Amino acid sequence: MARMKFLCDAERCIECNGCVTACKQENEVPWGVNRRRVVTLNDGVPGEKSISVACMHCSDAPCMAVCPVDVFYRTEEGVVLHDKDLCIGCGYCFYACPFGAPQFPQAGAFGMRGKMDKCTFCAGGPEKDNSKEEFAKYGSNRLAQGKLPACAEMCSTKALLGGDGDVIADIFRARALKRGKGAEVWGWGTAYGKPDNPRQQAPKGAKS
Amino acid sequence: MLLTRKSATAPSAQSRLARGLAGMLAKTIDRRAFLKRSGVAVGASASFATLAGQLPFKLIGRAEAADDKSAGGKTEIKRTVCTHCSVGCAIDAVVQNGVWVRQEPVFDSPLNLGAHCAKGAAVREHGMTEHSHRLKYPMKLENGKYKRITWEQAINEVGDKLLAIRKESGPDATYWVGSSKHNNEQAYLMCKFVRLFGTNNTDHQARICHSTTVAGVANTWGYGAMTNSYNDMQNAKAIWFMGSNAAEAHPVSMLHVLHAKETGCKIIVADPRFTRTAAKADHFVRIRSGTDIPVIYGVLYHVFKNGWEDKQYIHDRVYGMEKVKEEVMKWTPERVQEVCGVSEQDCYKIAETMAKNRPSSIVWCMGQTQHTIGNAMVRAFCIFQLALGNIGKMGGGANIFRGHDNVQGATDIGPNPDSLPGYYGIIPGAFAHWAKVWNVDLEWLKKQYAAGMMNKPGITVSRWIDGVTEKNELIDQDSNLRAVLFWGHAPNSQSRGKEMVEAMKKLDLLVVIDPYPSATAAMAAMVRKDGVYLLPAATQFETSGSVTASNRSLQWREKVIEPVFECKPDQTVMYLLAKKLGFADQLVGKKDGKQNIQVVKDEPVIEDITREFNRGTWTIGYTGQSPERLKLHMKHMQTFDVKTLRAKGGPCDGDYFGLPWPCYGTPEMKHPGSPNLYMTERHVMDGGGNFRANFGVEKDGVNLLAEDGSHSKGAELTTGYPEFDHVLLKKLGWWDDLTEAEKVAAEGKNWKTDLSGGIQRVVLKVHGCHPFGNAKARAVVWNFPDGVPLHREPLYSPRPDMVEKYPTHDDKKAFWRLPTLFKSVQEKNKNISKEFPLIMTSGRLTEFEGGGEETRSNPWLAELQQDMFVEINPKSANDRGIRSGEYVWVKTPTGAQLKVKAMVTERVGADTVFLPFHFSGWWMGKDMLAYYPDGAAPIVRGEAVNTATTYGYDSVTMMQETKTTLCQIERFQG
Amino acid sequence: MISARKLVFAGAALVAVAALAGCGENEQVIVYQQGKYQGKPDTRPWENDPGAGLYTTSKWTKGDKSSWEAALRSRNQNQNEYARVE
Repeated sequence: MARMKFLCDAERCIECNGCVTACKQENEVPWGVNRRRVVTLNDGVPGEKSISVACMHCSDAPCMAVCPVDVFYRTEEGVVLHDKDLCIGCGYCFYACPFGAPQFPQAGAFGMRGKMDKCTFCAGGPEKDNSKEEFAKYGSNRLAQGKLPACAEMCSTKALLGGDGDVIADIFRARALKRGKGAEVWGWGTAYGKPDNPRQQAPKGAKS
Repeated sequence: MLLTRKSATAPSAQSRLARGLAGMLAKTIDRRAFLKRSGVAVGASASFATLAGQLPFKLIGRAEAADDKSAGGKTEIKRTVCTHCSVGCAIDAVVQNGVWVRQEPVFDSPLNLGAHCAKGAAVREHGMTEHSHRLKYPMKLENGKYKRITWEQAINEVGDKLLAIRKESGPDATYWVGSSKHNNEQAYLMCKFVRLFGTNNTDHQARICHSTTVAGVANTWGYGAMTNSYNDMQNAKAIWFMGSNAAEAHPVSMLHVLHAKETGCKIIVADPRFTRTAAKADHFVRIRSGTDIPVIYGVLYHVFKNGWEDKQYIHDRVYGMEKVKEEVMKWTPERVQEVCGVSEQDCYKIAETMAKNRPSSIVWCMGQTQHTIGNAMVRAFCIFQLALGNIGKMGGGANIFRGHDNVQGATDIGPNPDSLPGYYGIIPGAFAHWAKVWNVDLEWLKKQYAAGMMNKPGITVSRWIDGVTEKNELIDQDSNLRAVLFWGHAPNSQSRGKEMVEAMKKLDLLVVIDPYPSATAAMAAMVRKDGVYLLPAATQFETSGSVTASNRSLQWREKVIEPVFECKPDQTVMYLLAKKLGFADQLVGKKDGKQNIQVVKDEPVIEDITREFNRGTWTIGYTGQSPERLKLHMKHMQTFDVKTLRAKGGPCDGDYFGLPWPCYGTPEMKHPGSPNLYMTERHVMDGGGNFRANFGVEKDGVNLLAEDGSHSKGAELTTGYPEFDHVLLKKLGWWDDLTEAEKVAAEGKNWKTDLSGGIQRVVLKVHGCHPFGNAKARAVVWNFPDGVPLHREPLYSPRPDMVEKYPTHDDKKAFWRLPTLFKSVQEKNKNISKEFPLIMTSGRLTEFEGGGEETRSNPWLAELQQDMFVEINPKSANDRGIRSGEYVWVKTPTGAQLKVKAMVTERVGADTVFLPFHFSGWWMGKDMLAYYPDGAAPIVRGEAVNTATTYGYDSVTMMQETKTTLCQIERFQG
Repeated sequence: MISARKLVFAGAALVAVAALAGCGENEQVIVYQQGKYQGKPDTRPWENDPGAGLYTTSKWTKGDKSSWEAALRSRNQNQNEYARVE
């Protein structure tokens, strides 16, 4: 059974913001709402790495746990969606999310918070699939058309993978093998001892 | 605080979804609002059909990008190509009822495999008509404000003024800035248009981009273009980037580069900044801006010292390497370190990596081209590859990443001041050839020109301002420039902006033909009250045509939508203007009962233009790419192999994707295109080749043709040979291989001027030889200012001691019609680094393209980069009391100053600062919003770095020296 | 003075009107169940026909989850350039 996930390969991400703009274009996201962002660590120095971050569609989503009006639901593919009609804009999900996924549009006077908006894995929301209403509130529903999120499909270096967790893990695993080394960003150093050189090269004989 | 260049604040820009959500603050969507919105959508699509003619604008229905089929109407998929950079990412545009509602990636494309960068992912915005910042209708500057006028009035007034100026001062008093964003057909038509008007005063973005590349590389071995392709870089075992920030300027190229890295390729980056490309490098070397030649020679020193050069290759295929070696061995490690700051260890590492991991490839862009010695720098880099024997090999080559989407095509067949289409030049023979192809009377054409001007290269776009303001007795034409037309070109990409507005003041006529008003409109309105016209051109999505990517592949764009608002495609504007100016018939080749290019409702038919240049561009092989073949390729992209670009089976079997030029011969000959140039391992009918015989057969007693045994696979002539003409064909006894019809056309002609293509067919297909000959590459280009590339300091150098040792060229009296200063400027500013100690360099950002008005008008892109900024090293910042995010003044020796935000980062060294060049719309601290036409200003505005850049031009091509100048930075007070 | 009967009658009429007015409206009191999604129902992606959207290259049988998953898995490979080049 499919469980939808994102994986951003930090070795390939060049911070081009293609994913950010693909999402903006696909879902016509307003100015100020950033469903997806690229985060760069060590900007400008050796060891610079970037990762694209949006909603992680957690299995045990903190946003879902804390929402006082229970607007969240999880689809069978593991995509976390919400009903904007019920949202009261309290921002508790914003506190709870460890990834900064919930966004609030800048509509109305005095910067009123408005309805929460976030990455939907391009799966729309609780309106009729592919309808104008669904698009106006939640953006595109690519899953209902047999497509995958626009950000992952348009990534310039295919760093951002999105789809069935099983499939993208496979794709990433093959790359890691080709490189002959693991993903330093996610704890290689912690698991196997910190490298003394942050830009450690692969051992001799390895491919890269 | 994040060190990345993102700002969390946003202006109160309206947006479509925001307005809708505003109605949702209540528990449920306000029913009135909901009904109103669907009513508008339905009403709009109805009115489009019935009232289209009556509405003031062509009201394309509100572009609600829902996949709602209830709106009804036809859904079409149009395949097009992104219009930003030269990678050429294909896009499938989903169009419903004539409205562009979706864009989908084209995974089938062998060039980009569906990938896009930020700009490519956002192209759909061009077709959105609500909140559009495009130029919507013709406008005229009246009393300092832009007023709307009709097309008829615009064409009439502009045409009348041009005719008057031409009558009073001659056609050379006009300057036509063409575009690298025109497709091939439009660029070709523009080149013809300007010549029919009677002047060579035309140019386009290539001048300020890769003009030094084209001149330097073509003079080294034959063609001045990327030798391999982005895809082919996957075969490289080592890649050296110097003067290229591919991760930001050509993001999708990194798909191929990083794939190569994963499969074992080593990446080396040499740059004054630690760029995003450097972040992916295995080895990064920081160099002083402008000192590329010492670095290359420093590396070559170790190559020669260790005997790593490919001696057989050099013997067979290179002329003059010994002279170069003499110069290189003088560049000892100490000398290299002194000049450019690169250690012996780093040079050795680069040399070893590139030599021991062959085939290895090099990449360069503006970092090498935009200097007074740009032509020498690129040649030095080519020499490096020749020394290692990497040219003409898969995975090797000189991979030059071109800039705009069709700068390659525009360079090849577009408006160049020194050449007609196809690099034929502007010699009488070239005009004779093209007059025939154009079906234009050669004598009539000669009379269009002022006396003595027809064979003289025109002024370059980098110097048009001097054409206006320079003393008349010093310029090499009768009159100063009185009219300038910016046809698809921004002004803020040319240097010396402070002087540019002075030139704008002096003009009698300034015209902008562009989808966006561009900074020209604002700068002109800032200093003038009238005499400026803005004509709305359509984008490449509103017309069809072919476009040439950097790897020389041609792709065909389908028309996605009809031109929006009152825009017209450039070919229509050309025809209308030609009608007014009196050469409409010549433009479409209408003479003696024949008409080359049909015209439908004032729009020349695109495919007819393609076929016309197919019939004439024999020099670089733009002859085999007929519209049919190209369209077939676009339909069957998935049949092309990604590494070799060759179709295995399918309808395009055997072709290389996009028939990369040279695709010699007629389309019937079915040459497959040449993905990698100069490959002797392949047969010429398989895309193989060798170096060009363009420089004679011998020099100083040394043979210039290739040595015996060095030839393309299966060539009948196994020695070097000169280029083919009817004499050589007869001598070899191959004349009778021509058909009777071909013999008639080929008599007295050579492979470039034989309009039947017979000579090419016989040489290539029947005898397996290369029509342009088989010769050696030249490491010493004796017709250039420095035969062996030499290092010379930039005009504004931070090192007076280096200026002593490596001075620049002497001043030139008449160079491209203008006096051009070198030494006098350098001498005058030798010690100016006391006042202006920081090296100022400029470059690209991913989110924006070129002059930037188009991309900064797209909210999805503009949001990502909202402020103009300067990257400054922490030490330099602390020395000046500057904090990150504060405003500072950037001052240069021109007296101009720019108010920009400081970004303190270690990306740049303590001696350098970096500014992106995509911004415009501020003038020395003042927002120019008021000067733009209403509703057509870009969302994000900022200082243009070129407002403050200094004088400095390349000694061969007049490329501007924008990569190295000097500045001082001060905190902004109050 | 209004008779008591008239008052009761008027009162009853008022009540009737009030009750009738309440007929067409939603529940006055929302019953809230903590931890359970309270919003509109949503359809599953595979319950749509492939032709329902404007344009897609994916094909599956409407209502058949596994054919939809297979279509997505196949489409996912477009993110893997190794599927086309070594």
